[in-house]
Amino acid sequence: MKLSKKVVLLGHFGVGKTSLFRRFMDNEFSEDYKVTLGVQIKKKVIEMPDGRELSMIIWDTEGHTNIEDTRKSYLLGSHAFIYVFDLTRTDTYQDLSKDIDYLTKNYPKVKTKIIGNKLDLVNEKDILQLFKDKQIQFDCLTSAKTNKNVQNFFSDLAKEITS
Amino acid sequence: MEYQEDTLLFSEKTQFILVTVEGIIKKTDAKLFDWKVGGSIYDCHPFFEILKSLIDSFEKEETTYNFPCIHLEENNTEKICDITIIINTQEITVILFEYTSKYRELNKIAQQRNESVLKAKELELKNKYLLDKEEFKNNFITNINHEVRTPLTSILGFVEILEKTKLNFEQEELARIIKRQSIHLNALIDDMVDISKIESGKIQIVDQRFLFVNLIKGFDETYSKLAEKKEIEFSTYIDPNIQEYLIGDRTRVYQILNNLLGNAFKFTEEGSIHLSVTKNYQRTNKLSINFKIEDTGFGIQAENLERIFDRFTRFNEDKQISGTGLGLAIAKNLVNLLNGEIKVTSQPEKGTTFEVKLPFKFEVTKTTSQKKKKKYTLPETKKKFRILLVEDEEATQYLVMKILISQGNFFIDVALNGEQAINYLERRNYDLVLMDLKMSKIDGYQATRMIRNNYGDKIISEIPIIGFTAKIGEKERDKCLRAGMDDFIAKPFEQEDLLYKITKQIAKKAAV
Repeated sequence: MKLSKKVVLLGHFGVGKTSLFRRFMDNEFSEDYKVTLGVQIKKKVIEMPDGRELSMIIWDTEGHTNIEDTRKSYLLGSHAFIYVFDLTRTDTYQDLSKDIDYLTKNYPKVKTKIIGNKLDLVNEKDILQLFKDKQIQFDCLTSAKTNKNVQNFFSDLAKEITS
Repeated sequence: MEYQEDTLLFSEKTQFILVTVEGIIKKTDAKLFDWKVGGSIYDCHPFFEILKSLIDSFEKEETTYNFPCIHLEENNTEKICDITIIINTQEITVILFEYTSKYRELNKIAQQRNESVLKAKELELKNKYLLDKEEFKNNFITNINHEVRTPLTSILGFVEILEKTKLNFEQEELARIIKRQSIHLNALIDDMVDISKIESGKIQIVDQRFLFVNLIKGFDETYSKLAEKKEIEFSTYIDPNIQEYLIGDRTRVYQILNNLLGNAFKFTEEGSIHLSVTKNYQRTNKLSINFKIEDTGFGIQAENLERIFDRFTRFNEDKQISGTGLGLAIAKNLVNLLNGEIKVTSQPEKGTTFEVKLPFKFEVTKTTSQKKKKKYTLPETKKKFRILLVEDEEATQYLVMKILISQGNFFIDVALNGEQAINYLERRNYDLVLMDLKMSKIDGYQATRMIRNNYGDKIISEIPIIGFTAKIGEKERDKCLRAGMDDFIAKPFEQEDLLYKITKQIAKKAAV
């Protein structure tokens, strides 16, 4: 049985949404920053542990400093949002709880996952302590550059949205 | 909406696609993408998967959805389109409007904007990292300074006492080595504290009127003796047109010249060293002075000249010359702080010349002579004066006791902290308190405030208190004075200074 699920990558510009997108889709990474305008969409077929096939349609959207500026039509029919922030830039997560509230309030049926990206640029222990102290919630810390936690995150997400 | 295949109402950059609710392409003009009639729209591009959820959520009314700036690819060619989807009960109309070139132009602008924001953030982060690192370093140096100065005070003090005892030749020599090494260590700490203060912007330039001629004469006297010892020549020249009194930061000017002269003496084994002081220019009450220090020392290789003012830079390791490697860095930083200029020229084996230009001011009217340090003597009302030493360091207690007891004018009691000090003051009359600042339970500041504020008995509340600590600097001094202390002594102290300050406070109190 073929399943199709739409997942949208959201967050500020320059946080690494496209890098995560490329790492997951094509296992590629580039140091060059290339701005995303509008949205790029790709499909990846994942074989689930139970034998089902999942077509994960990922929408890599352009970054916005305010989540409310994201085009509403991009969010239509979503099954999951991945909110990505940059671990090295506090401005990309200082309004995290406000942005997540906006998503959960307006799209209550859509799963929202939070990723702190660019783990390769910070000390994991320090950042975990910092987030604990500041009570910042997140689901996963990733590095698109080193591929750390990227594949596992998407695999877990696939299971979650198909269960 | 009726789609008419034959008309050319729409531009070449617009494509219409009619799709069944099952997702099968019924009609298309294939102007942008060569998608075949009869094929599934879902196989054309993953974007169209959105149709499934739009169809699922469709109710009764015809509904239009707009999706701007969608990247669509076919055969490795990307087209950026705005897509309109109209859904009604019978069919779905998809209209693609291609704006690739427009969006690519916009992309360039967005790229530039985002890149500049990211660059600024990166710089901000780097700056923060450097500031944090700097702060850590400065705090580290301050703490090390405090921890090292306390035992160093004891070492220097005890060596001085040891030197006054009967020693044989070998013991005298050993004591001299300990003293020399301790003085060197003290100088290293001074330099490290100075450089960290300069770099963290904590040094304040204080303009004061001072006898400039005497500053240069002082160098002449000090370094002539050293030159004699090294069997080299030392001479100074001061332009007679320079005013006797100048306004500037005497301490910093002294530090700059002392570092440069010290450096010249270190690296000159034969020949001469010359200090010349000349006037560059004078306008109204301002003048610029050129200091030139020429030596006939080892000289510096041309490739090393640009690193000469870096911290911990030393080029003559093989010559076994002691030094911290901080002197020139301090001189350069201080010159910058004073808005001056410094340059160096050198020839290996021939010598080095440092030139410093510094701005000064001067008073147009003539003034009276320099204020001399006032002399104080202990009052004759008593033979002995009782001093309370509040100090938790055993070595410092012993050192102070040795110094004061050897004078024959003092009784000493020792309290280990502020709390104990207050108990002592309540029980006995004292003439002065020497108060360490960093102690357990009640520290020196707190104890001083309690003494000043909590007692009606003036013998206690107005007792002279001298702050006594390894921390140094204006800030510390201000903190002591604000807490109510009368004076402040920095460790390691000179015996003379300690005795002078104690005598001064006791004499002042007696005069009231």
